[in-house]
Amino acid sequence: QSLEDCPLDEDEDAFQALGEEDEDIDQFNDDTFGAGAVDDDWQEAHERLAELEDKGVPGRDADGPMENDGDVLGDPEDALAERLTRLVIDSELEDPAIMQAVHTSGHAQPGALNSSIWDSSAVLRRIRGPLLAQEMPSVSVLDYALPQRPPQAREEERDPSERVLPRRSSSPIIGSPPVRAVPIGTPPKQAAIPNFNQQILCPKPVHIRAPLQQRYPAPYGERMSPNQLCNVPNSSLLGHPFPHSVSPVLTHLQRAQLLGGAQVQPLPAGRMSPSQFARVSGLVGSPLPSVNPKLLQGRVGQMMPPAGGFRAFFGAPPPSQLPHPPGPGSHLQSLRPQMFRPDTTHLHPQHRRLLHQRQQQNRSQHRSLNGSGGDRGGHRSSHQEQIRKDPYANLMLQREKDWVSKIQMMQLQSTDPYLDDYYYQNYFQKLEKLAAAEEVHGDGPKKERTKLITPQVAKLEHTYKPVQFEGSLGKLTVSSVNNPRKMIDAVVTSRSEDDETKEKQVRDKRRQTLVTIEKTYSLLLDVEDYERRYLLSLEGERPALMGERKQKICDMYDNLRGKAPGQDRLSDDHFMQIMCIRKGKRLVARIVPFLAPEQAADVLMATARNLPFLIKKDAQDEVLPCLLRPFSHVLYHLPLGTVTSLVQQLTNLPQSAAAPTNPHLTAVLQNKFGLSLLYLVLSRGEELQSSDTNAELIHDNQWTELMLMATRELLRIPQGALAKPVSIPSNLISLFSRYVDQQKLNLLETKL
Amino acid sequence: MNYMPGTASLIQDIDKKHLVLLRDGRTLIGYLRSIDQFANLVLHQTVERIHVGRKYGDIPRGIFVVRGENVVLLGEIDLERESDTPLQQVSIEEILEEQRVELQAKQESEKLKAKALKERGLSVPRADTLDEY
Repeated sequence: QSLEDCPLDEDEDAFQALGEEDEDIDQFNDDTFGAGAVDDDWQEAHERLAELEDKGVPGRDADGPMENDGDVLGDPEDALAERLTRLVIDSELEDPAIMQAVHTSGHAQPGALNSSIWDSSAVLRRIRGPLLAQEMPSVSVLDYALPQRPPQAREEERDPSERVLPRRSSSPIIGSPPVRAVPIGTPPKQAAIPNFNQQILCPKPVHIRAPLQQRYPAPYGERMSPNQLCNVPNSSLLGHPFPHSVSPVLTHLQRAQLLGGAQVQPLPAGRMSPSQFARVSGLVGSPLPSVNPKLLQGRVGQMMPPAGGFRAFFGAPPPSQLPHPPGPGSHLQSLRPQMFRPDTTHLHPQHRRLLHQRQQQNRSQHRSLNGSGGDRGGHRSSHQEQIRKDPYANLMLQREKDWVSKIQMMQLQSTDPYLDDYYYQNYFQKLEKLAAAEEVHGDGPKKERTKLITPQVAKLEHTYKPVQFEGSLGKLTVSSVNNPRKMIDAVVTSRSEDDETKEKQVRDKRRQTLVTIEKTYSLLLDVEDYERRYLLSLEGERPALMGERKQKICDMYDNLRGKAPGQDRLSDDHFMQIMCIRKGKRLVARIVPFLAPEQAADVLMATARNLPFLIKKDAQDEVLPCLLRPFSHVLYHLPLGTVTSLVQQLTNLPQSAAAPTNPHLTAVLQNKFGLSLLYLVLSRGEELQSSDTNAELIHDNQWTELMLMATRELLRIPQGALAKPVSIPSNLISLFSRYVDQQKLNLLETKL
Repeated sequence: MNYMPGTASLIQDIDKKHLVLLRDGRTLIGYLRSIDQFANLVLHQTVERIHVGRKYGDIPRGIFVVRGENVVLLGEIDLERESDTPLQQVSIEEILEEQRVELQAKQESEKLKAKALKERGLSVPRADTLDEY
């Protein structure tokens, strides 16, 4: 069923009702009331409404026709809404971006006094049928953003011709639902005190109304002023066809508020002038015994207009509190702790206490405010009277301040504070450590430091599903921040090997290496992070964490060495590729400390084996020395056999007798890193030799031979060609002293 | 008491006298009456203070609503120490005159600089042309 059809049905309903009242209207006149009138014929619709108005004006009573008209006008919209509900698959309009945009666009002049309000009883017509029975949609997203909606929305409805248009074009599903809420930037005009405190203490993007049910027997002082009542979110004053599909909730609280608000107003029916209204607010003190829903509607309707313009008269929130200060006050206070407890458990006790104090302070301030217009800051709590009286003070009401700080608090919510605000977390940790250290040393009084505890929101994965209609072809083209329009359907085509030239292949290989490096880096960062997570986690989770960590380390190693299932790691190729890239070398330097000794030794061997190649590649970057420190750590754990083979690799000895020169060794010796590594290895060997007198004979021989050869080479090389090593281990001399005679030793010494 | 320890908020600054520096170089002094989450400010009894050298002049402006993004910095003015300044207050006409003179002098020196650079074959790109890229 397309949208085009709906207004048609609506119209028919409307006019059948009308027909009952006025026989003159030809119900079967298609041009006026039927198919011919459908397409956005606002003129006709306007005329119809004007007719209604004419009928309505003479001798109208608040009850009967009002209700009727309310039904008449309310129902078609309801019907439309219901129909739409059925059509929409995904009923929750979850996309906050759309919703907020919707509610931001074009709400009518706030506070402007449209005289038509007073002239026509259009106001009364807006009232819907059974107040409480009607379910108004509550928008959970809006609750998150704002506690309540403003009165401005109501003012829109008063202009009849304006009202007609939105009927068709304002389908809430498509594009622009009618604006019924305050733009996100403006603070609510009324105190959403119960609701709001809830939120400031535990701002979370879920319904928070449930705990408020205890406030159902709201004290008199808590009842909302006209201002506030209009802003009750699910007030059925809203005449817009918002789909019921958006979680309709009218909780106890709201009903209480509505009822309470209604009770605030005295009974006069009919139109009220502004001055009357101001007086009405003064009469606020008289509680009403009965609440007739119809009267309630009337009351509520009459209360709508001044919300914007007459704020000045009302001053700060409920002047209605004035007549009964002790009563509601104490009631409030007794309710406060109740309200606090479930939601402030995560707050620091100091914080909670201070909030409590602050609220009491505010309450006392409000209580002392008189109802006169401009003087808002006249009375202050006693300790503030010392400050010079500033007649313009408190222009920004406490609730507005709270609202802003609520937004600030909400911005602090985070699923992973370390991710979102690393520096802040670290800074405060440092501060706390300092404080703790001071407390330990000093005897001073323990300062209770107030700490800001931000609520940690569980990560909620909202997969946004764009709105769809049943049985329609294709999807709606609504795009928003959360659901951006897809521009191109890009398809990835992988090219075949044959087409590529060699250069491309090389490039691709390098790219793949880069990708591997990046992947390994993220693994590395995770592994490095485990220590912190370990400290933060619970006992039970720790083994799992350790397991994860181990797994990641293995993965890293596999990545480094080029894991190929079932293949013997014969080739260093993969590793070499990584080592050719500067970032790869640094990566290896950071990974090596985490590797198991055998794996680390493996890496070391691979490096030593291919050192000349690496040296050549490193000529520009000169990053190899960064590997020295981790390698030296690794060396400390290596047994002699490994060390021996390392030296073999490094020096490429023994060589065949035919080879005149040892380019491998030369290259190693001429490079800073190479030489330093060689020294480190030699020194380790020496250490092992000297410490362990029961060294195995086999290795001993090997080692000795190697040393002899190594020293011979060292002697051969001219001093100038030797590189400057990073450090010369002290036991090298003693090492060489074993194998060479004094003369050569001196020579060596000078060289080194 | 700081409502939210460890955070920065303008809420504590409300109804206090502030000095606000704007991005266009203007200095406003006024009572901060209202803020919002974007740090849009409502300043009351605002005075625009023009500084030239050691002199300054105040132009009363009334109520300012400043969009948050245009604020460079703002700070509370200590009312007791406010008059403790080595600067000399002059009349509005005088300070405007001084400002004009200063601006002229600056423009002239800029012109000379540009000329000198041009003679050496260099050119300084003007700030506004940079914006195009």
